[in-house]
Amino acid sequence: MTNLELAQRALAAAGDGALATVTAERSLMLRYARSRPTQSTAIDDLTVEVAVLRGGRVGTASTNAADDDSLAHCARAAEAAAEAMAHSPGGNPYPGFPAAQPLPDCDTFDAATARLDAEQGGAALAEAFEVAEREGVEAHGTWTVGDVETAVASSEGVAASERSTDAFMKVVCIAPSDRSGYTTATARSVADINPRELAESAAAKATMTGDPVALDPGEYPVVLESHAVAELLVHLSWTTFNGLAFVEDRSAFSGRLGSTVAAPAINLSDSPRFPRTFQRGFDAEGVPKAPLPLIQDGVAKNVVHDTASGARAGTGTTGHATAPGGSPYGPMATNLVLTGGGASDARELCAPIERGIYITRLWYVNAVRPKETLLTGVTRDGTFLIEDGKVSRPLVDMRFTDSALGLLERTQALSSTPVLTSEGEFYGRRFASGVVCPALRAASMRFTG
Amino acid sequence: MRQLLADLMDAAAGRADYADVRHVSSAAESVATRNGLVDVVRHGSEEGFGVRVRIGGAWGFAAERGSSKESAESALERAIAVAQAQPLVPGAGPLAQELPARGSYATALEIDPFEVPLEEKLALLLAADEAMRGDPRVTLTIAQFSAFREDKLFASSDGALCHQRIVECGGGIVATATSEDDAQVRSHPGAHREQVAQAGWEHFAGLDIVAYAPRVAEEAVALLSAPHCPAGRTTLVLDGEQTALQVHESVGHALELDRVLGREASYAGTSWVSVPDLGALRYGSELMNVSADATCAGGLGSFGWDDEGVAGHAFPLVSEGMLRGFLSSREAAAEIGLERSGGCMRADGFSRQPIIRMTNVNLAPGDAGSLDDLIADTDEGIYMETNRSWSIDNRRLHFQFATEAAWEIRGGERTRLLRNASYAGITPEFWSALDAVCSESEWQLWGLLNCGKGEPGQAMHVSHGAAPARFRDVQVGVA
Repeated sequence: MTNLELAQRALAAAGDGALATVTAERSLMLRYARSRPTQSTAIDDLTVEVAVLRGGRVGTASTNAADDDSLAHCARAAEAAAEAMAHSPGGNPYPGFPAAQPLPDCDTFDAATARLDAEQGGAALAEAFEVAEREGVEAHGTWTVGDVETAVASSEGVAASERSTDAFMKVVCIAPSDRSGYTTATARSVADINPRELAESAAAKATMTGDPVALDPGEYPVVLESHAVAELLVHLSWTTFNGLAFVEDRSAFSGRLGSTVAAPAINLSDSPRFPRTFQRGFDAEGVPKAPLPLIQDGVAKNVVHDTASGARAGTGTTGHATAPGGSPYGPMATNLVLTGGGASDARELCAPIERGIYITRLWYVNAVRPKETLLTGVTRDGTFLIEDGKVSRPLVDMRFTDSALGLLERTQALSSTPVLTSEGEFYGRRFASGVVCPALRAASMRFTG
Repeated sequence: MRQLLADLMDAAAGRADYADVRHVSSAAESVATRNGLVDVVRHGSEEGFGVRVRIGGAWGFAAERGSSKESAESALERAIAVAQAQPLVPGAGPLAQELPARGSYATALEIDPFEVPLEEKLALLLAADEAMRGDPRVTLTIAQFSAFREDKLFASSDGALCHQRIVECGGGIVATATSEDDAQVRSHPGAHREQVAQAGWEHFAGLDIVAYAPRVAEEAVALLSAPHCPAGRTTLVLDGEQTALQVHESVGHALELDRVLGREASYAGTSWVSVPDLGALRYGSELMNVSADATCAGGLGSFGWDDEGVAGHAFPLVSEGMLRGFLSSREAAAEIGLERSGGCMRADGFSRQPIIRMTNVNLAPGDAGSLDDLIADTDEGIYMETNRSWSIDNRRLHFQFATEAAWEIRGGERTRLLRNASYAGITPEFWSALDAVCSESEWQLWGLLNCGKGEPGQAMHVSHGAAPARFRDVQVGVA
C-alpha cells in the first residue's frame, strides 16, 4: 500500500470534513567524536495524522499504526476533539480545509540516497578521520541520510504525495590548541556530499596559526559566513515572517508592510522550487507552494500564512501551513532564499574592513524581544579577527546581542553565490530544510561579552 | 511482550558485546485556548521498538514502529548492520557494572489526567483565558494543558527485564500585551506555558490558573510602560523558576559526562569542567549544594531505571561549592574509572537512543527564609522573575538570561516594576557570588519539557528543585 493510499484509508475512517496526512520516515544518522564513531540511529517509522473539522474548529489525533482499528480509533479521537471544540464558546475561526489545486512538479528524490547505505556512511567517517589525523586535529560531527514521504488526502479532494531525500554531513575539527573549525554540506543527493573537502575545510580553520585574541564588548564591522546569516534568517522566519505573529501584533512586520526594513541589497524570498533548496510542492494543508517575496529591495513585502492566519489577515493562505487547521506556533517559511551580491566570496567581503570580526557560525541564538527582532547568541567554531582587510588571527568567541533586522539594515555587501545551509537538526519527524544565502558584510554588529 | 524482548536479547547476546531493547507505547494530549477560543485539542499515540547494540566499541541503534516480533527482529538486524558498518573503536572498554534491572515502577498519582473529561479541561482553561482578557492592550491570551503517558518495557543482554509507566501533566497561562513597538509577556506559574510534573490531574488543578489570571494580565500591561531595567552591576535576586533554569544551563549541562569527554563537541558542546576537576574544583560558594536525584516525587527526571537499566538514585554533583560528581552513562562512567553509572541515560521515545541527560538536578534549599525575607534582607538590587530568554555558550561558561518581569529592591522592599530585564555572567564567578538561598518552604520542582540535545534531536523532560536565591555583584541590563 502506498502512503497516499494509507492517508486515504485514514480519511475514509474520518468521513466528511477531514484531512489525513501520512509522513513516513526512513533515516540513518551516524555520529562521531574525537575521530571515533559514537552513536548511530536508524529509524523506520511513520505518523498518520487525522484532522477533523466541526463547526469551524479542527481537532487532531495521530498514531504510528496503520491497521484499520488504529486508524478508526485515531479518527474517532480527532472527531471527538473537534466536536468538543465546536461546542465551546466563540466564533468559527477556521474557514475550512482548502480545495484541491494543481500541484507543481518538484525535484525532490534521489534513489541512491534513499538506500540509506550504512557502509557509505562508515566510509564517510573514515575519510574525515583520515584527514583529521593528517592535519593533527580530531574530527567530530554527523553524517545522515533520509527518505521521507508526505501524503495528504482531504475531503475537499486533495490527494497529494511527495517523496524527498536529503543528505547532510557536519565536520567540526578541534586542534590540540582547542581551536575549532566548522563546515557542513547538505543536499538532496548524498553524492553531492564530499567528506574529504569538508574535513579539510574544517581542519584549516582549526589550525589557523596565532594565539587567539580577545576583543572588548562593543560594535564591530563583521563578515558573516552563510551559516551565520542563515541562523539569523531562520529566527526572522519564526518571529517576523510568521503570519500568526503578524496578525497578533507580535511581529516586527505588524503594521510595517511596505516600509523599509533592510538595506536595498536585501532581497529575501520563500522560494520552494529554487534549484538549491529542498523543494516542496505543497504544505501541510495540501496547498501548492509558490515563491513569495518577503523583503524586496529592503522593503517589507509579505508574511507567510496558513489557512487560519490568512483568514484573519484577510489575505488567504500562501501555502505555508505546518499543521492542518493551523499550528499554535503559526505558519513557517521553509525555503528561504537570500539573493547574492557582487563579492566573489566571504574573504573578499573583508577587504574594506580595517578592524572587524569574521564569524563562521552563531550558536544558541535566542530571541530576547521578538518584536524588535532582538537576538542574543555566541560565535563558535571559527571566529577570527579581520585586520587591514584580511582575516589575521583567531579570536576568542564572543556574545552578540543585536537586532536581526538591524543587521540586515546595516548590510553593505553580499557574496555572489548563495549556498544551501543547514544545521542538520531533526527534532520530531524528519523534515529537511535549509536556507539558501550568501555571506554578508555589515557595517556593525553589537557584541555584549 | 516480555518473552519477545527476552528472546530478542538472547538472540543478540551471541552477536553483540552488549544489547538492550525498549518497547515503548506512549500517548500525549494537548489542549489549549487562545484569546477565548479553544485553539488546540490534540491526541497522539505511538509505539515501537528501539534496539541498541555495542559491537567492538561501536554502537548501533535502530527503531521500528509496532509491537510485532518481526519489527523487533528487524530492528535488531538493522542495529547490528549499522554498528558493523562503522570504523572500529580501538581501546573501547567494558561498561560499568550494574545489577540487572528487574521489577516495575509507576508514577504515583491520584487522578489519571487522561481520564478527566475534555469538557472539564476546557472549562478550566476557558475560565483562566477569560480572566486574562478585558484590557484591549492584552492582545493574546493562552491557557494550556498537556499530559503524557509512557509504558516502557526494557530488557538487556545483561538479564534486565523491567516495566515502567510514567504519567506527566501540567500547563499554565500566558498573557501578551502589545503596543506599536513593544510586546510584553507574563506567565503563570512559570515560563513557556508549562509547569508539568510527574503526577496526576491534581497537580494541574492545584496550579490555580484562574485565580492568578488577572494578575498575569495586569502585569503584562504594566510592563508596557514600566522603565527599562538599568544597566550596571548590582545584587540580583532570582525567583525559584529562574534559579532552576540557571541550574539547568550552567550546572546540569556542564556536568554531563559526554560533554566533559568531548563526545558532544559537534552539537551540544563541551564543558568548562574537566575530569580531573572532580573533587578539586570550586564551582561556587559554600551555599551551593546541587544533586542529581532520580527519586524525587513528582520530578520529570524520576524513574525506576534509566534507559540502560541503571536504578534511579541520588548523588551529589556539587557539595558546599565543590565539584563532587558527573551525570553519566555506563560507558562514560567506566571510561573515567567510576564504579557505577549515575543512571542518566534517557531516550525521547522509542525512536531515539538513550543519551546522557539530566534527571532532577536540584539546588538544595538554604536558610534565608521566604522570598519576602530575602528581599527584606537586601538593601539594594533587582528581583527578576520568570524566564523569557536564555542563551549560553557551548562550554556552559558565558550565559545571558532575560526575564519577563523585574522589580527594583530598595531598602529591603520590592519597589517599581522594570521591563526588559536581563543579566549575564560567567558560571563559576556567578555561583561563587551566591550568598543566600531561601528555605525549604520556598523550594519546589520546576519542570522543563524542551531540553534539546542529541542528533537526531531529542526533547527531554527534566525537573529542577530550587528556591529563590541571591547573587552579589551581577551584571544586569545587558540586552
